[in-house]
Amino acid sequence: MIYLDNAATTRPLKKAVADATRAINELYYNPSALYAGGIQTHKEISKAREELISLIADERFELLFASCGTEADNQALFGCVGRGNFVTTEGEHAAVYECAKELKRRGTDVRFASLNRDGSVKVEELLRLVDEHTSLVSVIHVNNETGAVNPIAQIAEKVKKKNARALFMSDGVQAFGKIPVHLSGNIDLYSVSAHKIGALKGTGALYKRKNLNLSPYLFGGGQEGGKRSGTENVFGILAFASAAKQTFSSLKENGARIARYREMFYEKLDKSVFSRISPQEGTPYILTVAARGLRGETLVRMLSDNGVYAGTGSACSSKKPYSRVIEACGVEKELLNGVLRFSFSQETEEREIQEGADIVNRVVKEYYGRMG
Amino acid sequence: MKEKVVIIRYAEIHLKGKNRGFFERLFTVNLERCLKGLRHELRRTSGRYLVEKFDPDRVEEIESRISNVFGVHSYSVGLKTEADFDAILECALEVCPEEGTFKVETHRGDKRFPYTSMEVNAEIGARLLAAHPKLSVDVHSPAAYVYVDIRERGAALVFGEFKKGRGGMPVGASGKGMLLISGGIDSPVAGYMMAKRGMQVDCLHFHSYPHTNELAKEKVVSLAKTISKFTNAYRLTTISVTRIQEEIHAKCAPELNVTLLRRFMFRLAERLAKKRGGQCLITGESLGQVASQTIEGMTSSNAVVALPVLRPLVGFDKDEIIEISRKIGTYEISVEPYEDCCTVFLPDFPAIKPKLSFIEEEEKKLDVEGLVEDALASVEVISF
Repeated sequence: MIYLDNAATTRPLKKAVADATRAINELYYNPSALYAGGIQTHKEISKAREELISLIADERFELLFASCGTEADNQALFGCVGRGNFVTTEGEHAAVYECAKELKRRGTDVRFASLNRDGSVKVEELLRLVDEHTSLVSVIHVNNETGAVNPIAQIAEKVKKKNARALFMSDGVQAFGKIPVHLSGNIDLYSVSAHKIGALKGTGALYKRKNLNLSPYLFGGGQEGGKRSGTENVFGILAFASAAKQTFSSLKENGARIARYREMFYEKLDKSVFSRISPQEGTPYILTVAARGLRGETLVRMLSDNGVYAGTGSACSSKKPYSRVIEACGVEKELLNGVLRFSFSQETEEREIQEGADIVNRVVKEYYGRMG
Repeated sequence: MKEKVVIIRYAEIHLKGKNRGFFERLFTVNLERCLKGLRHELRRTSGRYLVEKFDPDRVEEIESRISNVFGVHSYSVGLKTEADFDAILECALEVCPEEGTFKVETHRGDKRFPYTSMEVNAEIGARLLAAHPKLSVDVHSPAAYVYVDIRERGAALVFGEFKKGRGGMPVGASGKGMLLISGGIDSPVAGYMMAKRGMQVDCLHFHSYPHTNELAKEKVVSLAKTISKFTNAYRLTTISVTRIQEEIHAKCAPELNVTLLRRFMFRLAERLAKKRGGQCLITGESLGQVASQTIEGMTSSNAVVALPVLRPLVGFDKDEIIEISRKIGTYEISVEPYEDCCTVFLPDFPAIKPKLSFIEEEEKKLDVEGLVEDALASVEVISF
C-alpha cells in the first residue's frame, strides 16, 4: 500500500512507539501521586513539555497538553474570546471554523477574511476586519487542504500594531514538524497535534504565552495548571516529544527532500486531467490537485482498490459534495468535485512517489473510460 | 404461590375462521423467535398466550420484545396464582395502588369456580378496601383496575393494565415481498408497513461502488437490522449497479438518468424475487415526493415488471413518514450523510413526466439484458 494521506495522520515512528511502550509498561503511575514512581512520571512529562517548548518557542511560552489538535483549538478560542469581535479566515480547519460558527451563534461578532486562490488568507482584508474591539484573531498557519502557508509572524505583528490588546492565535497542526516555525512574541496561542508527525492519536497541545489568562476548559484535579484537568496521557505525551525531537532534528533536510518528491509527483501526473491547487511555496508535504470533470471521492475509492491511499481533504455530503475551503479559494465549479490531496511524511520514499503517480494516471484513465 | 407472567392477546386472528390454526401457529413461531435467548415458557391458552417461568428481573425486556411483534393486540404483565380468594387477594394487593379509586373486574373462564364474577368482584373489592382505608370504589371511571381472570386448571391471573401491542398480522401470514431499500428515510418505513400486514420482507439494496461509499452500505445494513426486529428478515442482499449507471450516463439523455436506473432496479429486483419465491416488489415511493416519484415515473418503472409493485407510502406526506421512522428507530440512521446511488450522477433537471416512448427509445442504446445479467453476478448476501 502506498500511503499518501499523511496530512490526515501518519504512521507512528518506531522510536515513538518504543518510548510509548516503555511509558505504558514502566511509567503507569499517576503523575500527581506522591510516591517515587509518580514523581518520576511527573518529571518525564515535564521534560517532554520542556523539549516541545524548546523546539519552536522560548521561555516566554508554556505548553498545555490536550487530547488532540481540535481540543487545543477549542480551548484557545472558547478560553479567550471575550467582548468585542473575533476575526478569522475562511481557510480554517473545522476545529476553528466550527468554533467560530458556535461563537457567532452565541452572539459574538465573528468576521471571516477571504482567501487567495492558493488557500492563503488575504492579509490586507483580514487587517481591515481588525479594529479596536477585536479580542482575538485566528489564522491557520498551513492550510490543511491546499498546503498554503500564511506568514503568521508578520500577520500577528500587523494585527498588534492595529490593536495591541487583541490576542493572536494560530492552528499550527499542519505546520509543526513540517516547516520551520518560531513563535514570535506577537503570537499568543499555537495549537499542534502529535499524530501528524509520527506520534500517536490522542495527544495535542496548545502553546500559550505565559501570563495570558485562559479560562479553564475542563474542571477537576487541577492538572495543566488548572486549565485542563484530567490525568495526563503519559505515553501519548512521551511519544509526542520523542517523535517531535526526531522530526525536528532533520526538519530542513526532510523538507527539501519532500519538496523534491512533491514536484516529482506533480510532474508525473497527467496534466490533461489535473490542475494544481497547492502553491509551489507552500508546505512540501501537501500537493492538492483537481481532476477536471471527475469526482474526487470516487477517485479515492478507485485508488484505494489499486493500492494508493490519498485524501479528498473534504467531507462529502449529497447536498454539498465539495470542500468549503476549496470553494472559498475560488476554484472553478467543474474542478470542485475532483479535488484530491496527496500528502507526504518524512518517511515517504521516492519509489512510492514514482509508483504512486503511475497508479494515479492509470486509474484516472480507467475512470474516464468508464464514463464514456 | 404466585408467579410473574405476561399475558398476550392477538389482533385480527379471531377473524380468520377456518384458517385460524395457521395464523395461531405462525404467531406462536414469531413470539418464540422474539423471545429467543431468554429463559421462558410460552403457552397458548384459550384466546391468548401466556409467557411464564422467566426471570422476573427481565420482564421489561420481554415486554419490549413482545411490543415489536406484529399480531399482538395488547399485553399485560400480571401474576399467576391459585384460584382461591386468599391467593387472588395477595396478588391484587400487589397490583392495586394503596389509595385512590379502583374497580375489580373479573372474568371467569372456568365455570367450575364456585363463585360468579360479581361475587369475586365484591369479595376482592371488600378485602382491598379493608386493607387500604384510603382506597374507594368507583365502578364508572376508576383510577385503577384490578383484573382477575379465572382460568382452567385452578389458576387465576391478576393484572392491572392492558398495554397496546403493535397490532397488524403475524409476519409470514401474507406472502413474501422484495423491498428495495436505499439509505433514505422512506424505504425502511415501507418495509415496516408491509411487515405490519403480515408480509415477509426481503431487503435488496443497490450500490454503486466506487461512486458511492462503502460506508453507505454499512448504513443500509444497519437499517435492515433495525427493521428486522419487526420483519424477522435477517439478511440484506446487495447488487452493484455501477456499470448500469455508467452506461446510462455515457449513452442516454441525462434527464432520464434516474428513470432508466429505476427500471433496471425493478428488473433486477423482480428477477431476484422470482428466484426466491417473492410475490411482489415493495418501494418507499410517495407520490410526487421527488422527480422520479410522479405517476409517470411509477408507470415507467412498472412497465418493465410483471410482479405487482406495492407502495405502502404512496399517499403519505414526508412528515408522516418521518414520524413512523422515528417510532421504529430508523430515522437517526437514515439521516446519516452518505450518498446512495440515486444521488450520484444526478442530472440538474431530471425528467418529471417522462414519456414511455422516449424512455424506451433511449433504453435501446443500452444492452439491457447484458447489463442485468452482469449486475446479477454481483449479488452479495449479508446475514446478521
